[in-house]
Amino acid sequence: MIAAPVSYSPLVRRLFDQLPRAGGLAPGPGQLVHGEARALDRGAWVRLDARIEGGYVADCAFRAWGCPHVLAAAALAAAHSSGQPIAGGLPIDAYRMAAEMDAPEEKLGRLLVVEDALRAMLANARALQLR
Amino acid sequence: MPVTDFEPIYLDHAATAPVDPRVALLMYACLQDSTLQGNPASVHAPGRAAAARVELARAQVARLVGALPESIVFTSGATESVNLAILGAARAGGAKFRHIVTARTEHRSALGACRQLEREGFTVSWLAPGADGRVDPAQVADSLRPDTALVSLMHANNETGVLNDIDAIGRSCRERGLVFHVDAAQSAGKLPIDVDGCGATLLSFCAHKLGGPKGVGALYVRRQPRPALQPLIFGGGQEGGLRAGSLPTHQLAGFGAACELALASLPAEAVRIRALRERLWAGLQGAAPLWRNGAAEPSVPGILNVRFPGIEGESLLLALDGRVAASSGSACNSAAAEPSYVLRALGLSDLAAQASLRLSLGRGTTEDEIDRAAELIANSVRRLRAALPLGAIETIA
Repeated sequence: MIAAPVSYSPLVRRLFDQLPRAGGLAPGPGQLVHGEARALDRGAWVRLDARIEGGYVADCAFRAWGCPHVLAAAALAAAHSSGQPIAGGLPIDAYRMAAEMDAPEEKLGRLLVVEDALRAMLANARALQLR
Repeated sequence: MPVTDFEPIYLDHAATAPVDPRVALLMYACLQDSTLQGNPASVHAPGRAAAARVELARAQVARLVGALPESIVFTSGATESVNLAILGAARAGGAKFRHIVTARTEHRSALGACRQLEREGFTVSWLAPGADGRVDPAQVADSLRPDTALVSLMHANNETGVLNDIDAIGRSCRERGLVFHVDAAQSAGKLPIDVDGCGATLLSFCAHKLGGPKGVGALYVRRQPRPALQPLIFGGGQEGGLRAGSLPTHQLAGFGAACELALASLPAEAVRIRALRERLWAGLQGAAPLWRNGAAEPSVPGILNVRFPGIEGESLLLALDGRVAASSGSACNSAAAEPSYVLRALGLSDLAAQASLRLSLGRGTTEDEIDRAAELIANSVRRLRAALPLGAIETIA
């Protein structure tokens, strides 16, 4: 049993300490969608909930299980998604999350799970618009 | 270490205990004492003075485990003691005795030594403990063979604190005339140990788990009948030829003092620390659901291993960073976090092992610290759980 020291960037520390946008969305107008990705063997399980209004992500929140980098990345994904058009590209991908958080290379596999959840949420939002 | 405006609550005594200030003062005095600067192996007056100081320490160390001073071999720590016991006894056993009995939940020092013996052609029986963490003495007896050279088991597990019934296992070994090595690194100074009563032929322990300095340990070697042992380190023939190298007078003085202090406070401290541990367990109920890993009793007083379903170990450690110093159920400095093999051997999944926290108390632990730690841990668990996907608590249990 080892309590190994892990270094975290100030951004990871702040996002982990505050967990902004964690939990569910407050009631409001628009339609709700979610995207979820789970890879427990890689140490990540992420769900993004979004409110869609007029082709935009009006608001986004996350729920996540994982290491501090996963929780911080989920918070980043939720923040970057809010206000973005659902028809556009990914507002942030795993590589940019890693760069912003100064995450160690070995965490990339987990961050890809966050990216998968984001892709799933946007795909579900687009599918909703087509109905 | 991050700078904080208060000291973290130290609940990692099973990893190492802070040096008792009385021990530190004595060691400092020993280093400063001009009459103790000789090599204890030298025959001149300064050497003889240092040797006398070493022998005082040897007597103090021996008393802690009910042994004679001449049965104590000083080493660099419990890892070396365990290696000397396992490798030394097995290699000295001769060609007809090539079988070792140990358990999957032993400390890495024992596992590593036994794996080395496998590479040398020995056969090792790796016993599995029950879900309570204990190795069944009947299972040990059943595993013995005509070619068994050694049985090596720990007294208290370093992760769960669960105690093995070394008296029963020792009786079984003694009846067959077998060498029985007990790794007592976690129990020496925490529980009464009587090497004669428990039937140990060899017993390993060290200073830094009981308020002494790091870098010094002991191996008890029974005198009658004396087991054959091959040394691992060669040189000047110190320690009866079993462990060469100049003896560190001040380190051994500190070890002796730590043993004496531990022995003097043993009954009362064991009761106090056990009560604090149960207070901690009660305080943590605010973070329910939670589970205790391993049996609550019999156990060494100061170790509590707790599993928080739905919690990821690294996140919990960071949430507690700078406030509570403890150990998690995994090595979490990489994406390939290795779950605790001890908890896995108890039947826990990788995820459940990683959702575990070892909290270990010691002599300096106070009631106030326990109450604050319980509140901090429970608050951190609740905060992390509030961010979990639905169903995570049930899935990661």
